[in-house]
Amino acid sequence: MKNSFFTTSRSRRLGAIAIATTAALALAGCSGGGESDGPTTLKFSYLWSGPEAKVLETIIDDFNASQDDIVVKGVSSPDQQKQLTSMSSSNGSFDISDNFGENVGSWAAKGVLAPLDEYIESEGIDLDDFAPAALDQMEHDGQTYALPIAVHSFQLLYNKTLLDEAGVEPPTTMDELADAVEKLTVTDDAGKITQIGIGDANTTTTLTTMGFAFGGSWSDKNGPTPTDAGNIEAVDWWQKNVVDLVGADNLADFKAGEGQYLSAEDSFFSGKAAMIIDGEWRSASAGEVAPELDWGVTAIPAATPELENATQVTSSTLFIPTNSKHKDEAAQFLSYLLSPEVMEKFSLTLGNLPARTSLLDSDAYSDLENFEVWADALTSPNAQSLASAPYSAEYATDLGNAFDDVVRGNSNAEKALEYVTTRTENYTK
Amino acid sequence: MSMLTRRRPEARSTRRTEGSKHPRRNRRSFWIGVAFASPFIVGFLGLFAYPILASGYYSFTDFNLFQSPDWVGLDNYEQMANDDVFWKSLANTLVLAVLGVPLTIAIALGGAHLLNTPIKGQPLYRAVIYLPSIIPIVVGGYLWRWLLNTQYGFVNYFLSWFGITGPSWLQEPDWTKPAIVLVVLWTVGGTMIIYLAALKDVPHELYEAASIDGAGPWRRFLNVTWPTVSPVTLFQVIVCLIAYLQIFTEPYVLAQERLNNISSGPDQSMLTYAMYLYQNAFVYLKMGYASAMAWVLFIVTLIVTLVVLASSKRWVHYGSK
Repeated sequence: MKNSFFTTSRSRRLGAIAIATTAALALAGCSGGGESDGPTTLKFSYLWSGPEAKVLETIIDDFNASQDDIVVKGVSSPDQQKQLTSMSSSNGSFDISDNFGENVGSWAAKGVLAPLDEYIESEGIDLDDFAPAALDQMEHDGQTYALPIAVHSFQLLYNKTLLDEAGVEPPTTMDELADAVEKLTVTDDAGKITQIGIGDANTTTTLTTMGFAFGGSWSDKNGPTPTDAGNIEAVDWWQKNVVDLVGADNLADFKAGEGQYLSAEDSFFSGKAAMIIDGEWRSASAGEVAPELDWGVTAIPAATPELENATQVTSSTLFIPTNSKHKDEAAQFLSYLLSPEVMEKFSLTLGNLPARTSLLDSDAYSDLENFEVWADALTSPNAQSLASAPYSAEYATDLGNAFDDVVRGNSNAEKALEYVTTRTENYTK
Repeated sequence: MSMLTRRRPEARSTRRTEGSKHPRRNRRSFWIGVAFASPFIVGFLGLFAYPILASGYYSFTDFNLFQSPDWVGLDNYEQMANDDVFWKSLANTLVLAVLGVPLTIAIALGGAHLLNTPIKGQPLYRAVIYLPSIIPIVVGGYLWRWLLNTQYGFVNYFLSWFGITGPSWLQEPDWTKPAIVLVVLWTVGGTMIIYLAALKDVPHELYEAASIDGAGPWRRFLNVTWPTVSPVTLFQVIVCLIAYLQIFTEPYVLAQERLNNISSGPDQSMLTYAMYLYQNAFVYLKMGYASAMAWVLFIVTLIVTLVVLASSKRWVHYGSK
């Protein structure tokens, strides 16, 4: 009897402990939201990591030291899906974050991003100083939902040594480019490519950029326009002058053996690709990975004279999620990050172009080889960006698959891009 | 009345002997038990039951994760029927399963025989074969991307020792599926260990009897080993099939071009069902469509499993029956 009484009381006590523990855990989970009178804590979650994250942390420290009202806590979280799920709940896990220009439209349409117009005014951010092609992507339904901190443009890089050996001048027209590609492509006795005339870091970016260079456009206000005449012409040009020159299988073989992008085994850095269309970050990585390489960069050849300096602009953006509880403070910090000095410090570390055109002439970038060609392209009237619309991600995937079909010789430009048109019917509106 | 009065004490006494002497205390321990089990119960309801029901509802809606879902009836299911990429991803997944499941079973069973041979260092071999299973799949996937590189990878270098020119594993659409299966087979150790346990259960006297009857190693395997391990094989086939139908990490990592980029491999040959589902849910933000896809996958899995179970009557032998 005594024994059983003891058992009951012990189990009762244990039960009480279990309930108390659960309750305590639940309370602990809720207490995070409590605010005292001290400075507001802002959480800045960013996709950057490594050296970029390091420089961001020094920027955050500078900001925290500069005033007493806000304490910014930075956290490196490179997973985009995590970022997205955090924004889907009513209580988010961060107050400010970064992403890419092409996602702004999709997220703004779903109400995930806080509109910034009011803050742009209160913080006195001068939008006229920002690269126009980059700002196009920041807007949705007439409102601004994000602002670029760094931007990117695409240009034609060439290996000076290989061009000199082949007696080729940097091309300025598409015909000259076709000629250069032919002269710079070398195959061995078995027909295997040992040196390619023009490489391709990312087929989708290379071919969408070529589309702009041929006067094409990938969308208009009514939605995607994959079969725009300029686009078909560009993809067709690539197929005839790059793919058919060596054969699709041969090209696929060459691509299969390419080393890691931007590593010392990267085809352009290792001298296996004589030319390549790529972004300004190449300048910083060339200095680190291939310091011996003698290379130059020039504007993408124009298909017609009025298309001179045509390029594609993409951007890294900063935004405030709708579920942030401290939007005013986040806007203050956002404005700080976009201030000329901070933007310069940050973009320089990444080897990226600053989003403010007034910074493009800054001496700070002079150590980066050939940087000015990319910088010049940014203000060109022919600099364009892909639309940032609700359907952007689906469209990019389908374009990528269509280009892959063309490059593999499974389809031609017209057929592949027409297929994309049939896919657009089910896109998110 | 008299019958009732006579019966009552009887009934009471039975209850007393079977249950506890203290019903109130019994009830109390029930609630204490519930309190202790509550983390599981809450977890089950919140993390399993609710999401399953919710996905069923979302599959009939247009839902983007952020705004309230709109009821669209069977639209998502209709769209699936007309979606080339959906069919492509389903076909890719089935090819992987058809290629991978028999290989997994064969290699696991063959390997288990080897691990069962009494030789020096046997425990070490067993540990080594299991080792890849404890390495995170993402880490293993990245390692294999490098091993499978045409120019810098070890796999083709190894093949070149035998005068074989290796294929472009991750660039040629015909070779990407064998590459994925290869990476999955790397972790076959887990299946092998289960088979090893099953082999230990095969009665020795059956082998002896078979030997006396003049059966060679192959006959002994066919008539003794295979029937005895067939229940384990049924289990392995089902588990393996489900794993292949839901395969995600290996193809995702092998196909990836850049971080946060959508990649499906050359000619979309590495796009598996689960990858396409994930893309719809978290990249295109079509949660309704993704939920419908999840239910279709569930039904496909169910049918395939039932077919395997039905066929098992012909080839699975339960010793006790």
